[in-house]
Amino acid sequence: MIDIVGLIAPNIFWILAIVIGGTLISISVHFISVGGAPAAMAQATGIGTGTVMLAAGAGIAGIIAAGAVMDLNQNFGVVLGAGGVGAMVMLAATMIVATWIYAYGVGVMPVSAKVKYDPITKYRQDLYVSQGTEGHGIPTVAFVSSLLGGLLGGIGAALAYYALMKVGTYAYSGVTPLEVHNLNLVGVVATFTIGFFFINSVIPSYNIVGTIEGFHDPKFKRWPKAAVASFIASIPLGIVAVIAVGALAFAGGL
Amino acid sequence: MEPLISMGVLALIGAAATIAGASEDLESDVGSQSNANSQVQLAPQMGYIHRIYNKAIAGEPVSNGMMCTIGATGALVLIKHFGFSPLFALVIGALIAAMVHGSYSVTAIMGREASQARFKQPIYLDLIRSHTPVIMAFAFLTTFSVEVVSYLMVYSLAHPFPFVLLSFLWGIVVGSVGSATGDVHLGAERQFQQQPFGEGLNASQSGSIVRKGESGLRNGIDNLWFCSKFGGPMTGVSFGMVVFLGTWIILVFDPKNGVVDGWLSNLLGVVIVIVLGVWNWHIEKETREKYGPFKEDKGEEVSA
Repeated sequence: MIDIVGLIAPNIFWILAIVIGGTLISISVHFISVGGAPAAMAQATGIGTGTVMLAAGAGIAGIIAAGAVMDLNQNFGVVLGAGGVGAMVMLAATMIVATWIYAYGVGVMPVSAKVKYDPITKYRQDLYVSQGTEGHGIPTVAFVSSLLGGLLGGIGAALAYYALMKVGTYAYSGVTPLEVHNLNLVGVVATFTIGFFFINSVIPSYNIVGTIEGFHDPKFKRWPKAAVASFIASIPLGIVAVIAVGALAFAGGL
Repeated sequence: MEPLISMGVLALIGAAATIAGASEDLESDVGSQSNANSQVQLAPQMGYIHRIYNKAIAGEPVSNGMMCTIGATGALVLIKHFGFSPLFALVIGALIAAMVHGSYSVTAIMGREASQARFKQPIYLDLIRSHTPVIMAFAFLTTFSVEVVSYLMVYSLAHPFPFVLLSFLWGIVVGSVGSATGDVHLGAERQFQQQPFGEGLNASQSGSIVRKGESGLRNGIDNLWFCSKFGGPMTGVSFGMVVFLGTWIILVFDPKNGVVDGWLSNLLGVVIVIVLGVWNWHIEKETREKYGPFKEDKGEEVSA
């Protein structure tokens, strides 16, 4: 019989880490410049795919990087950094290629329709928006905003992954602790982290409703609502995850 | 593993990833499964009957994630249980995934076109017969390449994730990248070639896709031919960069050697990201100067 209280008590700190990770993921989605389906027709500024799918793609690249590094080096900062950098590299590689296609395949320049002047480059924006569109491409401000989003989201995902790995490898009384290389543990933790990432990137998509350009978009101001919702949603998720992964440790990793 | 051999394996992984990205985008172009499919779906409702294959089984990331998981599961069963050689098993796994994808494609187009009967959109059986094998061929290429990427990562570079899980994850990432890059070439350019070059799609023109081809009526294979010249290969470059650069930074500075190397690898990643950001800014500057504004600045004229 697994002692649930005995499982949760030593892992309160890691539950808190998972909750913070979920909140970070939720905030990060607001930073990522997504244009949804209209961006695929150069009809809106941002990356031309859905909010959740893009955030999940970046977050998963972060989880793959964090998982690879966690196996080699269990330093807290290094694993979190690897998650953030993995997600940033994915978004940067996607955005630069999207810019090539917008600039040379479609023949439009990157421009924002939400601000008159780009806050970073100070370039005039409104004159460069083609008729009947809400901007197109990925201007510098959207690029930088997306990178910040990738960094936060990757760190949030890596934090949840790191916390659950620590829960799984903790030395509970009367149980031989699992190793960090245990394939079943890694599989369960990675799968849970992905599900956790999806949940926390769906919540902010109700704020975003299709498109957002980044931190300069008026919709960005709505982020506290999503952050609170994700914070609350992450508490039961964190508890359930700790019980599930901790139980695996009790079972000896199967 | 020796760093030099690791680099060689990584080069192979990068090449496989590039093929995976290119074939993923072309698969979504020929079958029109992408954000740009919203226009194909909309066209009959606006009175534009077309002969474009219309399947959108799910979002591209989810659809590719499923395909790669099916392929990797099949391959792993063959390797572990039946003792097949890995290369042979990966091919058969990809074949199973392509067949599943083909069946989903047929049900998707049948369902989608049937639901548009009230707009007089016919179901072209010859279109289904000619396009489905092409879709399956590209699905096979994508699945096989993603499986190769995952297999080499797990069994040669010692990535800790299980093989099937890693295939699933790279499947989602390849769909995410393909949906964000190559589809723009289909959606913003190929589907609206009758609009002037160098503009985004005017919202009032939504649904007015090009329906006449270079010869006869345009179909998905015509779109494939066009997008394979720029959108597809560029998607390949993008996914290749994601896989290669993300792994390269931890091979150059191996975090196993200590915390300093771990931070150096993260720093290298940040440097790469900054370089790409500066490049993006440079293209923005260049295109603004070359293409010029769409409107005149009336405010300044008045003040002058």
